[in-house]
Amino acid sequence: MTLSTNPVERRLQFSGVLIILGLLVEALCLAWRGPLAFLVSLGLGGLLLFAGMVLFLFSLVSSPRPGN
Amino acid sequence: MPVSFLLLLILFSVSLIVVLFLRPGITVTRGGKIMAFLVLFFLPILCASMGISSELERSKSTAFCLSCHIMEPYGKSLRVDDPAYLAAAHYQNHRVPVDEACYTCHTNYAMFGTAKAKLRGLRHVYIYYFTTPPPPEKIKLYESFNNRECLHCHEGARSFEQGAIHNSDPYLLPAIKANKKSCLSSGCHEVVHNVGTLANVKFWNGGS
Repeated sequence: MTLSTNPVERRLQFSGVLIILGLLVEALCLAWRGPLAFLVSLGLGGLLLFAGMVLFLFSLVSSPRPGN
Repeated sequence: MPVSFLLLLILFSVSLIVVLFLRPGITVTRGGKIMAFLVLFFLPILCASMGISSELERSKSTAFCLSCHIMEPYGKSLRVDDPAYLAAAHYQNHRVPVDEACYTCHTNYAMFGTAKAKLRGLRHVYIYYFTTPPPPEKIKLYESFNNRECLHCHEGARSFEQGAIHNSDPYLLPAIKANKKSCLSSGCHEVVHNVGTLANVKFWNGGS
């Protein structure tokens, strides 16, 4: 499992890793029956998901134009 | 919405992201771009919103409220074998949903009542984990209990509207409805949780 040499694809891969981590945090919080679960889910999970999605959107707008 | 469905959706999303991670080259094609958008944007938003909704729903449960050690005496007070204990009488006779007993009485039936209850919950978490919380018998409501919360269910009910004591004085019922005379006034329904007296009472062991 290696990172792509293409910068856009590498950003997509990083974005995927962040989103996977966010989703795993959310899944753990669903199984965890404590009052802190909501805070961790929203704080840590939400932050990871948000960062992953922003990185994905950034990779879209930062793509080099076809002619360049 | 069952939690198992959400967990399956998360598993499905993770599997697709892994495919995208291993084969990032597929995003060159139109189909790959659509897949990347679905997997890296749409599905995470869907999972996050469903997860938050599920967590919010769970935070209304009686078990959730009583999971804090400090709330244990309040949970115990729901099982007092004495109909004079207002909370116990409501809980044991299913006048409130047993699974959402705390939330049913302690949320405001007004606009943003649920949001306010959740914000207070965040404050409770802060106090519980980062400061020295007061002993259970010293815990007070943020503001005096509004009759609106009682009337949400009782208003219009025959037992309330035609109750002998409620009609013993012609001014009493309008005063209760206008929140000028509290339901919890001395001589009325003043015994609610009274956690300070739980050492001297009998408990009911029935129910779920």
